[in-house]
Amino acid sequence: MTSQNVKRAKAGDDFAIQTFNLTRKFNSLVAVDGIDLNIKRGELFALLGPNGAGKTTTINMLCCLLKPSGGTAQVLGYDILKQPFKIKETIGVSPQETVISEHLNPQENLVLIGKIHGIDTRELKSRSQELLETMGLEARAKDQVRKFSGGMKRRLNIMMALIHNPKVLFLDEPTLGLDPQARRAIWEYIIRLKKEKTILLTTHYMDEADFLADRIGIMDEGKIVALGTSRELKTGLLDILEKHTIVIHAQNFTQKVISEMRTRYAEVEVTEDTMVISDKQLGFQEIVDLLHISGVTVSSAYTKEPTLDDVFLNITGKELRE
Amino acid sequence: MRLLALASRNLKETYRDPLALGFLLGFPLVFMLLFGAIFSGDETPNYAIGVIDEDNTPLSQAFVDEALAQVPVLEVSTYDDTATALRDLKFGDLKAYIVIPDGFGQQVNSNWQGDKADITLNITYDESDIMVSEQIVTIINATTRAFAQIEVPITINAEPIYIETEIDYMDFIGPGIIVFGILIIIPTAARTMVSDKEKGMLARLLTTPTRPIDFILGYSLGLVLLAAAQIIIIMLATWLLGLNMTGNPFLAFFVFLLTSLCCIGIGMVVASLTKTENQAEPLCWLFAMPLAALSGCWFSIELMPSYLRTFANAFPFAHTIEASRAILIRGVGLEAISYDFFFLVGWAVAIFALGVILFRRSMRS
Ligand SMILES: Nc1ncnc2c1ncn2[C@@H]1O[C@H](COP(=O)(O)OP(=O)(O)O)[C@@H](O)[C@H]1O
Ligand SMILES: [Mg+2]
Repeated sequence: MTSQNVKRAKAGDDFAIQTFNLTRKFNSLVAVDGIDLNIKRGELFALLGPNGAGKTTTINMLCCLLKPSGGTAQVLGYDILKQPFKIKETIGVSPQETVISEHLNPQENLVLIGKIHGIDTRELKSRSQELLETMGLEARAKDQVRKFSGGMKRRLNIMMALIHNPKVLFLDEPTLGLDPQARRAIWEYIIRLKKEKTILLTTHYMDEADFLADRIGIMDEGKIVALGTSRELKTGLLDILEKHTIVIHAQNFTQKVISEMRTRYAEVEVTEDTMVISDKQLGFQEIVDLLHISGVTVSSAYTKEPTLDDVFLNITGKELRE
Repeated sequence: MRLLALASRNLKETYRDPLALGFLLGFPLVFMLLFGAIFSGDETPNYAIGVIDEDNTPLSQAFVDEALAQVPVLEVSTYDDTATALRDLKFGDLKAYIVIPDGFGQQVNSNWQGDKADITLNITYDESDIMVSEQIVTIINATTRAFAQIEVPITINAEPIYIETEIDYMDFIGPGIIVFGILIIIPTAARTMVSDKEKGMLARLLTTPTRPIDFILGYSLGLVLLAAAQIIIIMLATWLLGLNMTGNPFLAFFVFLLTSLCCIGIGMVVASLTKTENQAEPLCWLFAMPLAALSGCWFSIELMPSYLRTFANAFPFAHTIEASRAILIRGVGLEAISYDFFFLVGWAVAIFALGVILFRRSMRS
């Protein structure tokens, strides 16, 4: 055993998923370009990026569906190249496309995956019952799933990744193509799984990553271009841009107040009842006090946060969603 | 456990799919009812045929008087020379005439003694009337076989010969229709496997500890059970519609089941070479339909050019029809069909091996 292997094995104690210069090429296209990730046990990590960024390819390599062209990865300390079946026993995967057995009912779909993982019939029964209840499908447990709505199928798709109680969960675009209500339902369920499991989730919805993830890796053209908590990424952007923005709502901005503010701050824009002030440094209290003294009745004021979209735009020069 | 879970899922996916079930059962049953209806009841056709007995032995006479004369659809008249028979054929008074050549009696006798010998009959028929001549040839062929292969040592003059003369149309068409039903296993098998590949089920299951061998056995077991049910249903239907099951139906069932294994193997090969159902399905039909015709599922292939027969004989289905006719109609045992039987076994093993190799390769990425 080389010293590097020893180090990796030890690191595996803290990390559920580690990638080492993980690379995948499709002919000349580099879909995943040497990424290094360290995902802690119990963490919910989101890979955020536009279509074609390489998120699915990354997940497919981690769940041993696809061989890397270079580098490797470990899941719970097992190497994806050397011990794929060890990994397959401990993970749950909800694929990007909904994959369920159309002529089976939800119960049978769950039992199929459960039996493949060697869970005994009695336990399987109670577990599938429990899952169907929490996902709100118990009333339809005996109907063939081909008659289900997109949202119901999607929920079943996720349940099938959970039936065997895996330690590590891969959710590839869990709410792809769902209406806001169905998305909410799935988000709430994912929130409940946090801490209990290590979750690697991919999404191209920034609000999804923002809402769910402990940490976010922003991915573009096969590379991780930014990494951190939502807060870290956003404040990081503020530091880079050296531009803070405060938005104030009030009824009575006078021309005098506006000119006054313009002399003090770099950018001041006013539209009817809204004033947007930007500068390298801004004192929130100072601005509110100043307006107050000038006789402006402030109804609300807040520091404008950049979105993950802004972070992505700043790094790549592209919009997250076209 | 894993294998059973997969097999049961595959079985459910097919039998709960009305379209798949319709193909597997509906298609052959409709064919059978159609053929059954055409040749049922009062509408039995009567074919006038002439016979010229050049052998003129007690055996050849028995063949004409006992065997041919008792076939319900044949109206036999004897002629002294071919010229008169040919004239009547040209005038349309005859559909065909048979010349029993010198040595016929001897040939039949050798068969009765256990030496397999070729039996020659010369049949002249009106080529323009394809369906009719086709059937006459089939009927005469079957009658002759029934006559020649009775396995009782007998002295012709002393004892009357018992001959199976109840030649029902279902006896000819039955085994062919059953084999046609089995051929439909090919698209069914290919569809099951390819659609899992196309829709991502295979990929999903490959993220579980399922081994490639589990997949292959899971598919095969599910499909074999399906094929067994299908064969039983169609065999029962042919029996109800008048197939005389003289021989051992279990032996026939086993021959059919072997054939269905070949079909599952072919389906697996097709599924490995294609990516979508839309590619796999037409490919299967393109393969199965001509082969059904060439193997004699719907009509006799006695008149087919020899290169086509050689081609058809390279596949299992002509052998199955041959063997199952021998078992069901003539009542022979395993020894009599051992060549066809081992051909089927060999074919099933070979195609399965190929299917497994190709399918495993198509699973990798
Ligand atoms: N099997 C494949 N063959 C060829 N190219 C592929 C294949 N799978 C993915 N790609 C390409 O790799 C890139 C990354 O794809 P993917 O991982 O699916 O991105 P994402 O999941 O982030 O949308 C895309 O350009 C895609 O076209
Ligand atoms: Mg994707």
